[in-house]
Amino acid sequence: MKKIGIYPGCCFQGADIHNYDITVDFLNKMGVEGILLEKTACCGGGVLDETNKMIVYGINARNIALAEEKGVDLYTPCNTCYMIIAKTKLALDSDPELKEKINKILAEEGLEYKGEAKIYHTLNLIRDFIGMDEYKSKIKRKLEGVKVASYYGCHVLAPNEVALDDPENPTVLKEILEPLGVEVVEGYQYEQTCCGYHARYTNPGQKERLAVKPLEGAKEVGADIVATPCPLCHKAMDGYEEPILQVTQLINVACGSTPEEAFWNINKTEVKISL
Amino acid sequence: MQKGRVMKKIKYITRIKRYNPDTKESYWQDFEVEVEDSLTVLELLMYIKDKIDESLTFRTFCRSAICGSCAMIINGRAGLSCKIQAKDKIKNGVIKIEPLNHLPVIKDLVVDQEPAFDKLKKVKPYLEPDPKKVPDNLKVESLVLPEEVAKYDKQTDCILCMACYGQCNALEGEAAYLGPFQLTKAFRFIMDSRDGMDVEERIKLVEEAGIWDCVQCQMCLAACPKGIKPAEDILELRRIAKDTGEDNMATRRAKVWFANVFETGQIDKWHLPEVAIGDEEGEEITKKLEEEFRSRGLKEEEFAPKPFEGIKDFQKFIKKLEKEL
Repeated sequence: MKKIGIYPGCCFQGADIHNYDITVDFLNKMGVEGILLEKTACCGGGVLDETNKMIVYGINARNIALAEEKGVDLYTPCNTCYMIIAKTKLALDSDPELKEKINKILAEEGLEYKGEAKIYHTLNLIRDFIGMDEYKSKIKRKLEGVKVASYYGCHVLAPNEVALDDPENPTVLKEILEPLGVEVVEGYQYEQTCCGYHARYTNPGQKERLAVKPLEGAKEVGADIVATPCPLCHKAMDGYEEPILQVTQLINVACGSTPEEAFWNINKTEVKISL
Repeated sequence: MQKGRVMKKIKYITRIKRYNPDTKESYWQDFEVEVEDSLTVLELLMYIKDKIDESLTFRTFCRSAICGSCAMIINGRAGLSCKIQAKDKIKNGVIKIEPLNHLPVIKDLVVDQEPAFDKLKKVKPYLEPDPKKVPDNLKVESLVLPEEVAKYDKQTDCILCMACYGQCNALEGEAAYLGPFQLTKAFRFIMDSRDGMDVEERIKLVEEAGIWDCVQCQMCLAACPKGIKPAEDILELRRIAKDTGEDNMATRRAKVWFANVFETGQIDKWHLPEVAIGDEEGEEITKKLEEEFRSRGLKEEEFAPKPFEGIKDFQKFIKKLEKEL
């Protein structure tokens, strides 16, 4: 059985604890053993930088080193964790001096950043780690007649250096949604507008204004639901008129879980999909 | 053409978003072209203007990615048309070209840059010489050490092309937002060892509709043809605002975020609203979270993260990072 290291970010915590269950269920359905990467720390969320940006490199080098210690790659379902950890990997792999400095400090915990572990997010995990054929073979029921607006979120497509697909013409989300039997809608208005999650504590009005836009665009084209891979986009955009779910919540149901087991029922905006 | 290279022609559709100022009409127009595969997007536009429709309007000058005139949206992403190879941008037989977002369109791909320049002026994008550092006569050089320049060297590469501005999500939510390159410029002068303006004063200039409106989407990093990272400069500006005494929801969040991570490795999303937002609103959100946690079957000891085993070693690690990096 293939093994992957699950990196626990803040999206697995408190009111969002179900995201961990969704992730574990998803990996089980895919026949992948998830190994929780204990002792890892918050990726920084773009906020630790406001204290010291070098700490962010250090912490995420340590996070990757903890995966490497267990001999696994690192997987996070969160767009932001993915982007920040991938940025760190890029920085360390292209700057031997920085890598050496951090490794010197890591050595005191008996850790080493080697640069061997790959950084996965749900989208490239399915495409590159699980494989599309294997993924398709796990789908048991088709969600026929459901119109799904795909919404990537920003941090899997920008900055370009860490984008997990062609940032101008991404296809991976559609390729993952279509085998579920749904009708995928792309190209709607505000499809690429940011959900605003990260403005929640810097300018809450900004977050409110942005979060609703992609939802309105999706509603306009008659989508039953918006599907995003990112738990933060989901959190920011749930609670308005148009419902939104995480891609893994749809996958889990298509692979045999009940909607309750996939936590559709705790959505603030009710998911009206009859199976 | 390179010696020995066979000229190859390719056929595709150039889909341009046009605007006619006389009729105030905005529309998409397809141009079928069969051209050499070596053209830049700008050369493609010049070909269309030359051979197909002379009314097509766009701004250009140096053709060498230095003057900053020809930024536009190509396949949904902002960039300099003179720096981008057309053949790399053909997706399903089509290249889509639009004017930059968030600026009034004058004609076709030409936008009015003035509103963005007006915002730039608000951050006082010039040196206020510090008399202690800058000699009062031209006979003595104003010395800047290499390690001093390194702090803002990259940021001085900005050519004011406005690609970042035309791709910015924060402007989608707040039209008054200063904008990415404007904030990078502010950062560049704060870091300049010759600048005499008080940091607090410079920070004040970027606070209103500024650093707190950024959504950290990273699109400005993707857009910049010079590899500048405005969103990261904005985080630095927030850090400086916090360190020079600014007390607001965002700086309180930054402080408690670091404290939480240092204590447990994770953030405490339960108490975050109470501490960051403060007052009754924050307390109420924290209380509501408690109800939510209970309804989800969490026990009180599970409401907030606990330090992981070996947290003392982690704390030593953080302290060393602070000291040595």
